[in-house]
Amino acid sequence: MITEEKLKILTDSAKYDVSCSSSGSGRKNTGGMGNGYVAGCCHSFTPDGRCISLLKIVLSNDCIYDCKYCPNRLSADVPRATATPEEICELTIDFYKRNYIEGLFLSSAVHKNPDYTMERLLLVVKKLRTEYRFHGYIHLKGIPRADERLMQEAARYADRMSYNVELPSEKSLKLLAPQKSKESLLTPMQKLAVQSAAFKEEKRKGLIKGHFLPAGQTTQMIVGASPEPDGQILRLTQALYRKNGLKRVYYSSYVPVVRDALLPETSGGQLREHRLYQADWLLRFYGFSVEEIVNEGENLSMEFDPKCAWALRNMHLFPVEINRAPLEVLLRVPGIGAKNAYKIIEARKYTKLSFEDLVKMRVALKRAKHFITCNGKFFGAKSENAVRGLLVAAETQESAEQLDLFGMLSTPQNALIALTGQL
Amino acid sequence: MIYFFDGTKNGFLCALTEAFHDDAAVLVTSQVQLALGESPVLVSTDDEKAKKAENRLLSFDKDCMYDLDTLFRSGMENHLQIAFDYFRLLAKMKKPIGKRLAEPAVFAAVECMKKVGHEIHKMHGFIRFMETESGALYAPFAPDNDICDRLVPHFRARLPEFPFVIHDTARKKAAVYDGKNTFVAPLDGAQVLLSANEAEWQSLWKRYYQSVTIPARTSKERNKQMKGYMPVRYWKFLTEKQENPTNFDEIT
Repeated sequence: MITEEKLKILTDSAKYDVSCSSSGSGRKNTGGMGNGYVAGCCHSFTPDGRCISLLKIVLSNDCIYDCKYCPNRLSADVPRATATPEEICELTIDFYKRNYIEGLFLSSAVHKNPDYTMERLLLVVKKLRTEYRFHGYIHLKGIPRADERLMQEAARYADRMSYNVELPSEKSLKLLAPQKSKESLLTPMQKLAVQSAAFKEEKRKGLIKGHFLPAGQTTQMIVGASPEPDGQILRLTQALYRKNGLKRVYYSSYVPVVRDALLPETSGGQLREHRLYQADWLLRFYGFSVEEIVNEGENLSMEFDPKCAWALRNMHLFPVEINRAPLEVLLRVPGIGAKNAYKIIEARKYTKLSFEDLVKMRVALKRAKHFITCNGKFFGAKSENAVRGLLVAAETQESAEQLDLFGMLSTPQNALIALTGQL
Repeated sequence: MIYFFDGTKNGFLCALTEAFHDDAAVLVTSQVQLALGESPVLVSTDDEKAKKAENRLLSFDKDCMYDLDTLFRSGMENHLQIAFDYFRLLAKMKKPIGKRLAEPAVFAAVECMKKVGHEIHKMHGFIRFMETESGALYAPFAPDNDICDRLVPHFRARLPEFPFVIHDTARKKAAVYDGKNTFVAPLDGAQVLLSANEAEWQSLWKRYYQSVTIPARTSKERNKQMKGYMPVRYWKFLTEKQENPTNFDEIT
């Protein structure tokens, strides 16, 4: 059994990885323990508001690289530990059996050299799948510059793999993570995407059995450690979704765990991270393209969520009639989420929806009411300025209710407009 | 009118038939106190009559008996009334009504079923098994809704080689998988002998929970967020939220 001390060191080093998703794999139990849960499953939540779905751990935090932002970098004075493959397997199995976790998220510092590290990672996932007959979820972090064959073999055992982009531009990578390069991070992603498509095709034809990353690939970048604006970050995101078929891009607001002259002293702020995720959702589920959301050299509005900001720039498209607007238009109404859009589409088949009906169906109307009509009737504010003020007020109120936004949401003038009601 | 029935599914179906034309029908089981001057209708449960009603309802919506089962499991105080209003509407419309969300009766029923469904999904994550001396797994919990047997298929599919007991300590019943068959049984107190390593694994899990938390991102608001996702009333059975190793005297 792994010691508590070792477990602490190895999870401390892994916890800054954002991804904890366990969705997308329907792996079946064929004897032994575990299966995939397509919808994913959260097993606990920590006081920082994040979910625990997977056992997030590094095989080793003993690193030969010296990435400036990383708590495990070569020059850092931190306790080092390396687990044996058996320790990790046993931990996974015994946690899984007790229903603490949905599976394993395994990563590693670059220990000795990339090939050696990737070999050890591969050994763990292979052992888990074959010796321990474990069919639960496995997310494996790929090691850049490791032999391609190791990567390819690992993909046969893992449900998901990820190569982290780390930073949103080549320039920042050179500065802060000199041993990594854009090419060393993007090439494996592209290769895996191609191989995965080829595997699917062969499987469809019945030529091959088994799995190849059924839950696809994801990546992560640190936001706020380097100067790239949101417009540039989201363009990279869009390219990763469109060209590499990634399932998710994660953004991690920079946390200054490390002091370095090249790094900012303060945290990137959780509001910025929140806005990036909102924009990301618009790209994936709401039919937006990045060009509609933000210009390349600009940041997202801190005041309004990105959909609101877009709607305010396109007031000539509103209001839309709730009983007639097609799905793709409903999805663009601020305040109406995907679930509510589908709800409306279903319910209006049976009756003409009134404003009261929407209230009864608990469609959030605080924002939406300014952008819709119900049977031709409009319930929003009269002027565009008023809409603006009310939206700021809605945002401020919500932030006070649910989010820690690290700083001011709205300018004092806006707050005043909202309060005095000259809207 | 007020209709008394015995709280069973067949009783419900008979009450539905009897109160079908009474728009102000209120459905109660025997625990309810009546106001002075009210004279209730006592619904007698007739299995044949119930079967007829069931077949008729199934001809309108083939999935409706699963919905009824779900509504019966709800812990909401007025869940039977919600079921009644929903099924009366179904009988009137004579076709599936589940998507007519602008109908208050439908909305209420859908929300009620969603709550049950959500708790089942949450418990897929929040159930905490302990390993007993024999290797069987034991998980006590006290859910809002009567769901212990609805959890079995999920765990049976992923832990087919482990017998397990999911114990609803509030309703004093348990869903059991013996390695082959599953059944529900009444269960009050449970005598559980833990395996030699159980305490150590629990302690490792607690250590993991502590160290995976990021202090720089922890705040009052985030803490509230955690409680939103993982309500405090569930903590009693969550290993990572207990200071001491599991104490059975407290649970049972």
